[in-house]
Amino acid sequence: MEKRLSELKPGESGVIVSIQALTNHRHRRRHSWGFQKRLEDMGLTPGTKIKVVRSAPFHGPIEIHVRGSRLAIGRGMAKRILMRVNK
Amino acid sequence: MKKDKIMVALAGNANVGKSVIFNHLTGLHQHIGNWPGKTVEKAEGTLHFKGHTIDIIDLPGIYSLSTFSIEELISREYIAVENPDLVINVVDASVLERNLFFTLQLRELEAPMVVALNQMDMAKKKGIKIDHKKLEKILGAPVVPTVATSRKGIYELMQASVDTVEKGIEKTAGTKYGEEIEARIRELSKMVSRLQLPYPARWVAIKLLEGDEQIEGRIRQLDPHILFATKKLAKEIEKIHGHSCSTVITSERYEIAGRIAREVQQIVPSTKLPMRERLHALTTHKILGYPIMATVILSLFFAIFSFGDYTSQLLSVLFEHFHSIYESLFGTEILATIIWGGIIEGLIAGITIALPYLIPFYLVLYFLEDSGYLSRIAFLMDNLMHKIGLHGKAFIPAMLGYGCNVPACLGCRIMETERERFLATFVVTLVPCAATSVIIFGLVGAYVGFQWALLLYVIDLIIIFVLGRLAFNMLPGEPTGLIMEMHDYKTPHLETIVKETWFRLQEFIKMAFPLIIAGSFMIKLIEVLGLLKPIAYVLNPITVVWLGLPAITGITLIFGVLRKELTLLMLLTLFKAEFGATDFANVPGFGPKEMIVFALVTMLYIPCISTIAALVKEQGWKRALFITFFEIAFAIFVGGIAYRLLTLTGM
Repeated sequence: MEKRLSELKPGESGVIVSIQALTNHRHRRRHSWGFQKRLEDMGLTPGTKIKVVRSAPFHGPIEIHVRGSRLAIGRGMAKRILMRVNK
Repeated sequence: MKKDKIMVALAGNANVGKSVIFNHLTGLHQHIGNWPGKTVEKAEGTLHFKGHTIDIIDLPGIYSLSTFSIEELISREYIAVENPDLVINVVDASVLERNLFFTLQLRELEAPMVVALNQMDMAKKKGIKIDHKKLEKILGAPVVPTVATSRKGIYELMQASVDTVEKGIEKTAGTKYGEEIEARIRELSKMVSRLQLPYPARWVAIKLLEGDEQIEGRIRQLDPHILFATKKLAKEIEKIHGHSCSTVITSERYEIAGRIAREVQQIVPSTKLPMRERLHALTTHKILGYPIMATVILSLFFAIFSFGDYTSQLLSVLFEHFHSIYESLFGTEILATIIWGGIIEGLIAGITIALPYLIPFYLVLYFLEDSGYLSRIAFLMDNLMHKIGLHGKAFIPAMLGYGCNVPACLGCRIMETERERFLATFVVTLVPCAATSVIIFGLVGAYVGFQWALLLYVIDLIIIFVLGRLAFNMLPGEPTGLIMEMHDYKTPHLETIVKETWFRLQEFIKMAFPLIIAGSFMIKLIEVLGLLKPIAYVLNPITVVWLGLPAITGITLIFGVLRKELTLLMLLTLFKAEFGATDFANVPGFGPKEMIVFALVTMLYIPCISTIAALVKEQGWKRALFITFFEIAFAIFVGGIAYRLLTLTGM
């Protein structure tokens, strides 16, 4: 089943399918390249396993475990990461 | 080969103990400045080791060598172009995979390298065992296990570094990607190697395939045909893998890092939840996290400001005594007055305002950052800060602004991109500092009503929100969301924190004091030359006609540039001289309406001279002047509107 990273509940885990680049922004090309590159540089590449640990209240960021380290990722960014979740 | 002067660069991820190693190595022989034309800090130092003079440069903590942030760009330009004799890659042994990703990129840059496998104690606590000899073999570079906080392995690290430089190591082989990628890298490298570039050809080829804009730009000038070839080759890779070429390369690089990590480490996780994990869960808890944060921040701020306030007053009293001694020695002639009022008082302003707050502030900031709590605060506050176009990390400087804008401006350093740094700096200068609060409560709160004072704070918050949003939309560049590592909690290394505070303080004094002194000298000169009244007269259209304030407020607003609380003190002095008033209760022409407008204008109109100095230091002259003049114009604009609205309501 495919879900956005932002929709995963604490304790759930999945594998990254793809990262959606932004399309409706006026700095589109630059933005999408930088955005995607940045996530990938932090280790969020397609095929990577991610576990959601907790999320901050009021639609705050999400804490994830990835590649043996702990990251906080803003919800806006998490929305653009498509995940495959095993059910 | 014996070299008398060796250039070494320290490189690595953020929070891996790089600055601890830097401080151990350089001791008190260091110099903190900025990279030319950039808002990024540059720390340099010198070490004498076995007859060698070693110049060490501490590169910013980064995760990659792409062009996402200025730090990354600076680091890779430094390594590739300045060609240091050696790069010491500081690696966090407890998060090996992520750190090796960076190591692999350093290897691609073909920099001669020694790896410091740091935080071995931390790794051990997490049940991670690392075979460093095996890692050495795989990486083809010396690996030295270290525990920087207790100086373990530092000597061996330097020994290995000197040995490596003297032996003159052969350039290490880069990362091996899949054959379908390697073939295309080879093809591109061949084309690139004909060009005159300071970078290794293979690295340029990889960066081209990754779509690196900076490298693309350089190649476009030299040989645009290579870009066409790159496009074609990248398309082929995309076809094979079904992802963009940049994604494929980053992915593979991480795969290799992961493979190496698995090969050299053994993990036996402990069964019981360790203390630092429990602390992490507690401080990021969705309910408990907030009261904990509020308590920590408020008590730290309370500590900063009670220390600052106490010391500041103590120093003021001291200097007042000094003043009477000065007057009895040199009299009150014009020259003596100018020297005292202009130069010495400027110096005093700097010492009594900036320093008492800056010292505890730096200590606290580095403590929060080093321990790891800063990232938890950012985690909790991210959403709120997004409302003004910033993310969680900006919360700390914004809060600091309520105490003093100077450390707040300096604290904006923790933001990642130049754009965010400017945005955050702009926002914090709008936050009413302690001195402004004195005016708001001492004038509006005391004579108009407490609710009006609170209203001013609310208005200020709205202004911050609106201007922050506007600036967010207008500034060029890409807005960024939050993505950060939350490294494990650790006990901060006190010696490093104290040293970092000391060197930053030195830098601030060097930068800000001349400006503060020059500013107060100018104002004193204006006063002594009898130009205050004429200037107040010239300002009449603004103060009297547009803002509806008494003419003499023009004078006090000029003095407010030195320190904001002076506006209130000066105003009382002037009213006393003119009307014999001992407080603000019954001054003709200065009723509740005028008080509110006056407080509003003072709150917004200009960062004080110390803040301007901090702005210049962090953002450069152009942006500092832009913020200053914008805020003057904006304060006058808002003040006039407020005056008319208040008149309409019949106040």
